[in-house]
Amino acid sequence: MLVKFIGKHTPKCREMVRIVSQSMDEPMPLIMRIKKRLHFLICCWCQRYEEHLRYIHETARKFPEHADEASDITFPPDAKERIKQKLAGQSR
Amino acid sequence: MSTPDVQAAAARWVDANGECLYRYALVRVRRPEVAEDLVQETFLAGVRGYEKFGGRSSERSWLVGILKNKIVDHFRKLGRETSFTDMEFLSDEFSEKFVSVGFWDHDKGPHEWKPEPDEVMHRAEFWQTMRDCLAKLPQKVRDVFTMREMDDVPSKEISAILSITDSNLWVMLHRARMALRECLEMNWFDKPAGGTA
Repeated sequence: MLVKFIGKHTPKCREMVRIVSQSMDEPMPLIMRIKKRLHFLICCWCQRYEEHLRYIHETARKFPEHADEASDITFPPDAKERIKQKLAGQSR
Repeated sequence: MSTPDVQAAAARWVDANGECLYRYALVRVRRPEVAEDLVQETFLAGVRGYEKFGGRSSERSWLVGILKNKIVDHFRKLGRETSFTDMEFLSDEFSEKFVSVGFWDHDKGPHEWKPEPDEVMHRAEFWQTMRDCLAKLPQKVRDVFTMREMDDVPSKEISAILSITDSNLWVMLHRARMALRECLEMNWFDKPAGGTA
């Protein structure tokens, strides 16, 4: 009965995943934060979805420092030398 | 630091961090000549601002931070508009995951992911999978996602830079996250050789 009540008074999962995403970019109104928490009580999938988005957030912000591991494209040696010469000229 | 010291440090930076900066710039701007220019500007800014680098982070983190600002400036200069074609690309792609009343189809909902973020940081295969998943996103959706999640640009600023409304931005971010989550699950977490191994 409680599950039905929460299901009826909180957004459906299809809408909840959109709300979860938006909550990572904008502060949510208090009432929406409460609805989200209530919904998570009856839905492990939406709760898991939010955990996954937070995981992606954590790893995505680390990606730039690992970009050399993500690809094997080579920084052209002539461009590298050109930059070194430019830097040497700049620091004189 | 004296001039010869700065010169030596600069040459060492290029050898130690050039590949990383170039590959990230290339992921973001896709054009090799633009990526080279951005990397050069990054190193030049690094030399000019070396005195401000207090060693609070690693040199790579510091240089990556400079590069991120250069990339955002690059997009700001482009000042392009986002077409709706890209938004339609993912419009109903995941609708099959929900039953008609709007709840998850329990057989198709998110699976459990085992590893913690720290565990994958040292695995090149994970970063390659993430790069491949990013590459599957439509170009402008990918630009929005990377600017928000990798460059950490506030959403309001992204809307202004790319001349899109806040609601369009949220839709694009939502679809990018949903597609990326799905791709990582299929190509990393659900695979024996991936994070669940």
